[in-house]
Amino acid sequence: MNAPGTRIADFIPPAVRARLKDLRLTSRRAVGLQGLGLHHSRSRGAGLEFAQYRAYEPGDELRQIDWKLYARSDRFFVREAERESPLAAWLLIDASASMAQEDKARPGWSRLSAAKGLAACIAELALRQGDRFGLVALRDDGVRLLAPGAGLRQRDRFLLELHGLEARGQWPSPEKLRPLWERIGAGDLVVLLSDGFDDGSVDVMTRLAAARREVLTVRILTAEERDFPFNGGHRFHDPETGEELLGDGAAMRAEFLARFTQARRELDARLDASGIRHAEYVLDQPLDLPLRRLFGARDAAEYA
Amino acid sequence: MSLAFLIPAAFAALAALLLPLLIHLARRSEQRPTQFAALRWLRQKAKPRHRIRFDEWPLLIVRLLLVALMALLLARPVLHGGESHTPYVAVAPGVDVAKARAALAQTQARWHWLAPGFPQIDATPEAANASLPSLLRELDSNLPEDVTLTVFVPERLDHADGRRIVLSRKVDWRVVPGVMPAEVAQTTPSPLALDIHEPAKPAPGARYLRAALRAWQSPGQPAPGSVKHFAWLEAGEVPAQVREYARNGLTLLLDVDAKFPEVSAWTPLWRDEAGSALIEGAAYGRGRVLRFTRALTPQAMPQLLDATFPQYLRDALEPPAAAPSRVPSAEHAPLTGGPTFPIAPRDLQPWLALLIALAFLLERWFATSSRRAVAP
Repeated sequence: MNAPGTRIADFIPPAVRARLKDLRLTSRRAVGLQGLGLHHSRSRGAGLEFAQYRAYEPGDELRQIDWKLYARSDRFFVREAERESPLAAWLLIDASASMAQEDKARPGWSRLSAAKGLAACIAELALRQGDRFGLVALRDDGVRLLAPGAGLRQRDRFLLELHGLEARGQWPSPEKLRPLWERIGAGDLVVLLSDGFDDGSVDVMTRLAAARREVLTVRILTAEERDFPFNGGHRFHDPETGEELLGDGAAMRAEFLARFTQARRELDARLDASGIRHAEYVLDQPLDLPLRRLFGARDAAEYA
Repeated sequence: MSLAFLIPAAFAALAALLLPLLIHLARRSEQRPTQFAALRWLRQKAKPRHRIRFDEWPLLIVRLLLVALMALLLARPVLHGGESHTPYVAVAPGVDVAKARAALAQTQARWHWLAPGFPQIDATPEAANASLPSLLRELDSNLPEDVTLTVFVPERLDHADGRRIVLSRKVDWRVVPGVMPAEVAQTTPSPLALDIHEPAKPAPGARYLRAALRAWQSPGQPAPGSVKHFAWLEAGEVPAQVREYARNGLTLLLDVDAKFPEVSAWTPLWRDEAGSALIEGAAYGRGRVLRFTRALTPQAMPQLLDATFPQYLRDALEPPAAAPSRVPSAEHAPLTGGPTFPIAPRDLQPWLALLIALAFLLERWFATSSRRAVAP
């Protein structure tokens, strides 16, 4: 059996794919407004609800041309309707070197593998309800960006992009994050998949949330960070800063767990204060657990 | 009961105990590199613990045990004072055990046959011409001083020594009716006869042989019927017919000039005072061939004129018969005053070797079981 992510199509384990049925991608900013689709929208596109006519441009599909109007006016017009599902979901994947960390108990299943799986799950949800979805890979040697789109071909582009993604380097500097501000529109859904160890990532999230973007985050932790099961001498190496620390695992366990739990609690408080929905995912858990926390029935009920 | 070691210096081998300890010492210097992104919340302990630790305790203990046992084996452990102090009853073969039991009031005693190996009284002793005094002396030296020894013997004792047995302890010497088993192969000495062949011209040595022959025979005794000894006093090669006699069981006595080329290795049978052989002999077929090494003249061999010549010649021709060794038991009770010997301590090496084999099997079982993770 291949490791997850070696083939383009298998980011989502079959068991998880079966459990994705009752999940729906929701945005609190679209709640309460009426519309044909799941989300309210003002943008134009193909759909049921007529919005306007516009002149034919090369490249428009022939079936979109209103032939009756052509008979009357001898010009090509294209019917445009309100788009039913105008929600754009941006999947932000932290591709810094710390994401390559994996558990000794399950080699090959790194934080980045889990992030890819989660991203593929969310893309699958968006595809099912007709939402657009795009991908941003964040790394200090350049932010890779896949513009949002809908449809199966967009999903294939998305999975292809995920497949080539590797974890290295550090969290990008604020200048490099400028495309984020240029491309992510107000009301868009932003899901950041990261370990949350970089202060920069929390910064970006709070600022995006303050700028009326719907921000969600899944903090991906390894089981070793949760339990610290080390015994004996270890040389702990931080892949991003290159720092090293020698120590006896058993001796450091209690203090690390206390400090790390405290740090996570503080981070959660910060995210809550900014109105950012967050979930924690540990590498030994099933992949749909954080999605259920973010998009589960409790939140989806508001759409019923 | 006390433990002693014959080679205490071998305990230096206990230094080998360090080997398994070193093998099992947890390799603490090895720092496994670990990727850990949450290093920010990890704080170095001021003083990491440097306690000596060992991997795989059960295996280590078994290996230490194995090494210690081997050192113990090298030190040759013996056990003093492990002997039983219950009274010992030895029964000579031929004695009725039921009568012996009835004769002895003591209830607690070790009953054994007075036979080689001292088998239990329930077993049947093997028939053997073992010397009873020798067995008694062996028994006496192997028993601790304070053990009382009771010996049951039949009325008549075979294989007795020439003098009374002298033991270190006072022996309760009980004579009960019974007969010792007959000897396995008892041969009665037959009167010796020698047929002398001399050439046409009378040989000078023949008269000495005849004189010896006459000396052997007592006056009233009839001449023996069958002749088993044949003296060949002719020079030159011995005829094939005579050689054939020798091969078929005859003892052939050759003159010094007679040639017998088929025998090359001669064993001296009679030496003079200077140590040189006078009569040599060798086996030939079922019989024997003997030869004089000197001419049968008083000039060459002065022993011919000695009075002991017939006796020596007879000894060379036939091995001397056993001395009489049958005595009435009542007259042959052992005397005290013999030397006492320290009891040989019990050697523990076979048991230790068994223990080592067990420990080794256990060690292999632990070391090769599939539950192990890494191999130190």
